[in-house]
Amino acid sequence: MQCRECRTEYPPIQLAVCESCFGPLEVRYEIEAVRGGFHRDTLRGRPPTLWRYRELLPVFDDDAIVDLAAGYTPLRRARNLEDAIGSRELWIKDDTVNPTYSFKDRPVAVAIAKAREWSLPAVGCASTGNLAAAVSAAAAKARIPCYVFVPASLEPAKLLLPRLYGGIVVPVDGTYDDANRVAFQVADQRGWGFMNLNLRPYYAEGSKTLLFETWEQLGFDLPDVIVSPLGSGLLLTSLEKGHRELSELGEAPERPPRLVGSQPAGCAPIVRGFESADGRPKPVRKPDTIVESLAIGDPGSGFEAIQSIRETYGFADAPTDPEILEGVRLLAREEGVFSEPAGGTTVATLKRAREDGRIDRDERVVLLVTGNGLKTPAVWGNAFPPLAPIPPTSAAVDAFLGGRAHG
Amino acid sequence: MVRLVLASPIATATGGERELEVDFQGTLRDLLDVVTSKYGRQFQQRILEADGALRRFVNVYVNGEDARFLAGLDTPIPRDATVDLLPAISGG
Repeated sequence: MQCRECRTEYPPIQLAVCESCFGPLEVRYEIEAVRGGFHRDTLRGRPPTLWRYRELLPVFDDDAIVDLAAGYTPLRRARNLEDAIGSRELWIKDDTVNPTYSFKDRPVAVAIAKAREWSLPAVGCASTGNLAAAVSAAAAKARIPCYVFVPASLEPAKLLLPRLYGGIVVPVDGTYDDANRVAFQVADQRGWGFMNLNLRPYYAEGSKTLLFETWEQLGFDLPDVIVSPLGSGLLLTSLEKGHRELSELGEAPERPPRLVGSQPAGCAPIVRGFESADGRPKPVRKPDTIVESLAIGDPGSGFEAIQSIRETYGFADAPTDPEILEGVRLLAREEGVFSEPAGGTTVATLKRAREDGRIDRDERVVLLVTGNGLKTPAVWGNAFPPLAPIPPTSAAVDAFLGGRAHG
Repeated sequence: MVRLVLASPIATATGGERELEVDFQGTLRDLLDVVTSKYGRQFQQRILEADGALRRFVNVYVNGEDARFLAGLDTPIPRDATVDLLPAISGG
């Protein structure tokens, strides 16, 4: 491992941050050793999960892997949305269909394997909901106790899922950032392995497989632009790292895709940091948005995400909640993909960028849709009022449809 | 007494000491000065930038409240406060 900031190197041990400067650690690979096994020809016959990229995932012991078959999700050509938004070539990377219905199954797959390699007594996380479900399911399969710290105010489905998988939900009276702080302290005191806290450098490695899959599914090519949601910023920096590794292997051009980050206007610390001269995130004390999965006021990888966005000539944008819900509807009605609001956030950012030209019509764009809409029914409020039943007769159906044309 | 609690990654700056009791009154800056006098400039250099600002890799909480949302290094520290130092690189 190597510190992104001061470049100090470490062996692959359990370490949350750099011991010297407390900066972010990155897993590094011996690219020459990887080159022998990882290239487009060897990938073809491999299982359709993220473990097909085994040479670039930091797990030593195959027996430590808890395989829920995360990853290798569909990359869908979005022709209807292309017409609606005015894009020539648009793709949706659909992570709504992962084992626990969000992209979080990817980083968990790697981090829980490390927890098993090190025989940690329990696992857990701080979560806005999706990660809580992902780690609880993997811990169930691995038969490891699991503790997830979440804001108590989370929407019901996101509190239900981890409990259903057998995780212990610790409901914190406060924001995600409050839950994160107390979770770190508890994991630290008890020696537990928390995915996005003291296993974070390894956890990040799972997320970059979204970039690998996109490259493979586009016929070993990369798009011009990737639009990604931003919570802590770690997903976006993982995409940048994934490209860097493909490029070092000679499998992708040196020029990375433009990375575009998206947060809701009611919690946009990274976007506001991107817009500022100093390039530092602007923490938000009390997030105010329906997009709970992105309601992280103090993003742990915010600074690095801003660097990645700038270095790749991308940009960051913060649509409003109504624009985001409209984005979710567009995705459902044009493409048949039901996303949680985070996916609507990326759609809304793309829509705005097409309107003002920040993304060109001819650019090949991939939108990341990272979580399933069935987890967040509460955001729709009264938009879909209850339906009054009708008698089972054709006359009643005629009356119900009110003369709507058939066929 | 003010209780200063360091998460284990940060405790490398105090030679592994994770909990300190400091008899003290003043601001957060004053508190960090007191700890620096005990653990030396290497502590200060890892917590503060050269210009004296808090480093971006360390989050400081005074009674559970992020110091950036209080008065930063000028935040007054109550006599019986708990001050937590945690890595900023976390979560998400």
